[in-house]
Amino acid sequence: MNKLLFLALAMSCAASRAETPAANAMPDGSRDMYAGLGVLSAPRYDGTGSRKVSALPTIQVEWSNGIFVSGMGAGMHLSASPTLEYGPLLSVLPRRSESGTATAADGVGTIQGFVPSANLNVRKIPADRLTGMDDIPTRVLGGVFLNYYLDPQWRLTSSLLYGSGRDRNGARLELGVQRLAATLGDRHRVSLGAGLTAVNRSDNQTYFGVTGTEALRSRFTYYQPGGGLQDMHADLRWNWVWTPSWMLTTHLEAKRLLGSASHSPLAERPSNLTVSTAIAYRF
Amino acid sequence: MRSFRPFTALLALLLTAGSAGSAAADVRAGEWVSYRDAYRSMVMFEKYGGPKNLLQNQLEVQPREHGVSLDGVQLVLAGKANQLNLPLDPLGRAVFPLQKAAYDENAALLLNHKGLTFSLRPQVTIAPRADGVYDSAELRAACAQALGYARYVDASQRGRQCVGVRFVFPKKSDVGARVRRGDGREHPLAVASGPAFAGDADDGFQVVNYRFGPDGERAQVTAYDAPLAIVPVFE
Repeated sequence: MNKLLFLALAMSCAASRAETPAANAMPDGSRDMYAGLGVLSAPRYDGTGSRKVSALPTIQVEWSNGIFVSGMGAGMHLSASPTLEYGPLLSVLPRRSESGTATAADGVGTIQGFVPSANLNVRKIPADRLTGMDDIPTRVLGGVFLNYYLDPQWRLTSSLLYGSGRDRNGARLELGVQRLAATLGDRHRVSLGAGLTAVNRSDNQTYFGVTGTEALRSRFTYYQPGGGLQDMHADLRWNWVWTPSWMLTTHLEAKRLLGSASHSPLAERPSNLTVSTAIAYRF
Repeated sequence: MRSFRPFTALLALLLTAGSAGSAAADVRAGEWVSYRDAYRSMVMFEKYGGPKNLLQNQLEVQPREHGVSLDGVQLVLAGKANQLNLPLDPLGRAVFPLQKAAYDENAALLLNHKGLTFSLRPQVTIAPRADGVYDSAELRAACAQALGYARYVDASQRGRQCVGVRFVFPKKSDVGARVRRGDGREHPLAVASGPAFAGDADDGFQVVNYRFGPDGERAQVTAYDAPLAIVPVFE
């Protein structure tokens, strides 16, 4: 219903987590669109204590045919039931680079082949960078989502996505529960969520593993994680609706790495916080 | 510089949208509800494919402050160029217009009394009969339709059952209803003060509760006056 409502504006272009807005009931040929701009404070990469602040574009669009775009995800609602949502889902995992400048990248090139000791690298390489680690290209994941409403406020969510990792054979399963804001007329709408992410070996090795070559040229030691639970997370979204068109949307997410991901040399800080706030316009 | 291009384009888009202006954008905080949000709630009933011929669906205005009267208050659908007044019945309900134009322009729903904060919620009730005579089988069927719809939109309602109906009459009125059982016995139903709908703050309406008897029992309820609403009761 108005869970949309209720429908919390659940998107962040910087977030890789696939989120699905509630199934939208609207006139044929219509759409509901939010676009905005804000600021994001997030770890430079999963597991680091180093943070970066960046501009945050926000976008969420839903069409009457069921297709939606939400941040880095897109999909289609196929269910006609208000209590069950399912359909195909696409999600973009952004590229992970060394997060350094061109100079830093050049420095990695120089180190490679001359410095066999990772310990020595620690003194020369900024500790908040992935210098020496291979870039992970942007990946488009494909899969399905399935959500079930226990009542208009509580929603169980799940998604299964495939295509992550260097060889595009990584898989991710996300399970969660959300409490949605639902009262028609509330200026302040707070929704809460919590969940788990499980991945296969290929996904974990790409994002939390360190190959032998990477170990030689980076400050990280060799590490090959297995599959299993990757993280648990909880989030809070606060939408402050100023007018029918304008709102301030703020998102706070706490994440803790689990399993072999948490033992990765990249996981210097297994628990982390991501905060974003943006002004959005409803078209 | 390349990475700033999308941000610049988005900022330009937002500024363009903001400068376009609209009646909806001028409303003051706390005194409006998004038409789109209300539409999404109300259209569920229209799209529901189950039996609903004995039901009606209206939008109820709920003042956020206790003791506030809605006498003389109207709901106003405010679009960019046009306004549409939606009269409220004594229970604060309005017939909601499902308009694509209002949805597309992101219209607002306001009250014609400034400063009155409110929320909205859909209310599904049983359609009253002109003659005021209700067969228990028909009331059961109507309640079952309402429960079917409630279960359609809210999975948590699946464990509940229809137990009766509540006739809601105007405040301070001399009202009543009687029931005639299948064996010919007839007796009046008790009248009490109470809210029209669960969760309403205003408990000054005259209400008559009729609980269904055992399955298959024949009975007939006669309301002396036209009820404002007949509310299905689930437990």
